[in-house]
Amino acid sequence: MSARKNDVLQGTLALLVLRTLASGKPMHGYAITAHIQRRSDQLLRVEEGSLYPALHRMEQEGWVRAEWGTTDKNREARFYTLTPKGRGQLAAERESWNRLTTGVARVLRGMA
Amino acid sequence: MAWIDRLWNVLRPARLRRELDRELAFHLAERTDALEAEGYSADEASRVARQRLGNYLLQRERTRDEDVSQRVDNALRNLRLAARALARTPGFTVTVVATLALGIGANSTVFSAIDAVLLRPLPFPNADRLVTLAQIDRTASQSFVAPVRLADWDRMNSTFQAISGYYTQDESEVSGTFPEMVTRAFVAPRFLEVWGVAPVIGRNFSPAEEQNNGPPAVIISDGLWRRRFHADPRAIGAILHFAHSSAPIVGVMPASFRFPVRGVDLWSPSLFVNDRNITWYTAVGRLRPGVTVDQARANLASVQAELGREFPKPDGEITCAIEPLKEATIAGVRGSLWMVFGAVSLLLLIACTNVAALLLSRTAARRQEIALRVSMGASRGSVAWLLLAEVSLLALVGAVLGLGFAGASLALLRTVTRNLPHVADITLDWRLVLYSLACALVAIVVCGIAPVSQANEELAQSARATRSSGGRRAHAGLVGVQVALAVTLLAGAALLVRSFQALTRVSPGFDPDSVLVFQMTSSWDETADPTKAQQRADRILERLQSLPGIEAVAATPSVPGIPSDYQTELATQEPRAASEPKIIAQTRAVSPGYFATLRIPLLAGDLCREQGAGTWTMMVNRAFANAYFAGSSPIGHHLLQPGNVYVPNSEVRGIVGDAREMGLDRQPVPTVYWCATLFQPGSHFLVRVRGDLGPVAPAIRAAIHEIEPIRSVYDVAPLAHQIADAYATNRLRMILLSCFASLAMLLACVGLYGTISYSVNVRRGEIGLRMALGAVRERIIRQFLSQGLVVSGLGCAVGIALALALTRFLSGMLYGVSATDPATLAGVVVIVLLVSLIASLVPAIRASRVEPMQVLRGD
Repeated sequence: MSARKNDVLQGTLALLVLRTLASGKPMHGYAITAHIQRRSDQLLRVEEGSLYPALHRMEQEGWVRAEWGTTDKNREARFYTLTPKGRGQLAAERESWNRLTTGVARVLRGMA
Repeated sequence: MAWIDRLWNVLRPARLRRELDRELAFHLAERTDALEAEGYSADEASRVARQRLGNYLLQRERTRDEDVSQRVDNALRNLRLAARALARTPGFTVTVVATLALGIGANSTVFSAIDAVLLRPLPFPNADRLVTLAQIDRTASQSFVAPVRLADWDRMNSTFQAISGYYTQDESEVSGTFPEMVTRAFVAPRFLEVWGVAPVIGRNFSPAEEQNNGPPAVIISDGLWRRRFHADPRAIGAILHFAHSSAPIVGVMPASFRFPVRGVDLWSPSLFVNDRNITWYTAVGRLRPGVTVDQARANLASVQAELGREFPKPDGEITCAIEPLKEATIAGVRGSLWMVFGAVSLLLLIACTNVAALLLSRTAARRQEIALRVSMGASRGSVAWLLLAEVSLLALVGAVLGLGFAGASLALLRTVTRNLPHVADITLDWRLVLYSLACALVAIVVCGIAPVSQANEELAQSARATRSSGGRRAHAGLVGVQVALAVTLLAGAALLVRSFQALTRVSPGFDPDSVLVFQMTSSWDETADPTKAQQRADRILERLQSLPGIEAVAATPSVPGIPSDYQTELATQEPRAASEPKIIAQTRAVSPGYFATLRIPLLAGDLCREQGAGTWTMMVNRAFANAYFAGSSPIGHHLLQPGNVYVPNSEVRGIVGDAREMGLDRQPVPTVYWCATLFQPGSHFLVRVRGDLGPVAPAIRAAIHEIEPIRSVYDVAPLAHQIADAYATNRLRMILLSCFASLAMLLACVGLYGTISYSVNVRRGEIGLRMALGAVRERIIRQFLSQGLVVSGLGCAVGIALALALTRFLSGMLYGVSATDPATLAGVVVIVLLVSLIASLVPAIRASRVEPMQVLRGD
């Protein structure tokens, strides 16, 4: 089966979630998945099973804060918001991601 | 606080799961909606949504793992598993917990005593700066300080905040219907300043009150305040009436202030005399902050040297000794307490070793379970943690029960150790709890090492390999350690028992049976007129003598047979060659009836007579005559004590037999008796009774009340009891150590029995095979017996070596037996070997009854 839809790379999930929440609007897990998928023009698909362990880990790290609330459809959901500490983490992860991609791109260019 | 969150989440797993379920349910609902919108049927949509999430339970657990503290979670899981496993073997669990509870409880109890008596500071502010001071005079053994010298020290030093002193006397307070005996401390100026404690109500003495002939004043104790005034603050100003004086109460001390003696009822300023030869104070001082005891010693030495230049006689002969107050208070009990603590720690070690051996057998019995756990994917570490969890659970439950045991035995401890200082401060507090937990920790380590390493070894071998001999060896090693420790304790106990026996067998040289002792209140003021005091004493003795059933009566300043020391240097009036040894002797002033009352035999000469003005007579004992008048007779010589202004030179009238008056455990030393009926605070009256002692006491009280209505009679007791009480510490020490040693031996026997049984069980197959091949039962029995004897024999060897190293700490507590007494040690070894023979016999016989066919078929 070809990777028509790329699963999100290990380790980049946190970066994507942090970036998604960076708008400041509280979002629940499903909305985060949908948002990543939409913004990547369906190129990236979050493996749903990994999302919640990752969200809870980020909550314990203090990067995000979670609160129960109700959606438009009047469903109970857990909404996540970025904390100031999470914003700092986002900057750090973005920086390291940029270094990685630049580095990888340079290597690939050299080999072409 | 993420870690608190995680810890908290461990403790409420159900709630956390519910929340996770809700969150994931929402996700599934949203996904299902989206799929339905894409055109899936409702059923299909729900199925695909679940599929996308993956294994639901696994996801939930993985998410949960992020929310909880892994370490705590694992520990709790292990503890739960351990609790379940232990509950399945209640016999084992109860045995182990009881063993540990006993070990930890006994240890904590003794620790509480050590803590209260030795480790904690005295109950005064900055108690480490308190010291005792004594004047040391080469010619006198007593070290009381002259009031004028105390005042000089206090004035001239530069290292003390204050120096003061005190002496006590028991007297009658006569406000009530009957005179009440109260203990009064007479104190030098600045007494409370030394302690840093102020009255809770009222005030300290004023400078005017501390002057001679100043206004009278007393400060009373919390005890007297409650007893007599029902804690009424209006007690201030109330007048107390004593035999010859009365004084208003100016202050009440806090309940915690009980100095110089526990039962002290009141304090009042002492008289001041300007005579450098008259001494009466026990001196205490408070160092300035930052001053060391050595600096204070040097400072006071130079002060005293200055006094020596100013008053060559007597100050030139006098030096000053300074000791931290705490040292002075606990010196007598420190050795005993540490000894008991050492013994009880050995006991705990034995208990732990025993538990370790039990755990070892248990681990061996659970080989299959452990192998199963490993084959199901448990790591070696996790198996070790599981075993450690069991040990920890056992030790913690043991510690909690042990703490309860300690709490219960504290009451007992308080009654049997009444004479210890600060015994009332022994309480169950957080320090004790911490100590018990520390004991539990030691137990966990000691008990845990063997089984855990054993389990690892078992795992290292393949499941099919034959059973290792390592387990058996570790087992035997542990039992050997137990035997060794038990031998050590037994050796100590046996030495104390033999010493105590020697002490009871000793012939004291006097007959304490049928003698009643009592005291009577009097004051030091009365001793100012010696003739009157003597007449009073004579009248009392005469009255006592006239009572029916009384054989003889006497007065003496100290009770014979109770450790005491009044060594002094004497000189003869008659010329004596310079080459002759200096005369050093114990001195006692006794009434002439003393020798008849105690049945000390007259060996030569006559009995002394009552003292007259300026002419005293005296008796000497045989040891004195032999030491200083060998080959001649001391009778007719005159002896005097240089420097003692109270006693004129006296003629030796006769020689009496040697008596162990300084204590049953001490050889009689050269002793001189002044025949002088002294009546002063602390005087004891001795009454030899024909027949039963019981009815005599009320008769004595009535007779004394008749002629001395303002005095109280107290501390009435048979002489034999008083002597026994003086050796109560010895007896307690012996009883405690014997109990510990018996327990230790019992544990060691259980251990030995266990290890041989275990060995028999492990080797059943081998035994069966050998018997099938024709081995005789006796051989099998002999084999296991010798195995037991080898273990206990090695244990004995190590134990004796240990005992030889440790019993020297006992040497100061032994009488009539050496700390390395070969007979005692050999006896212990014989007993241990015999007992271990019996302990091994039972399983050995069981081994010989193995049915070969059954075993061979079974395996």
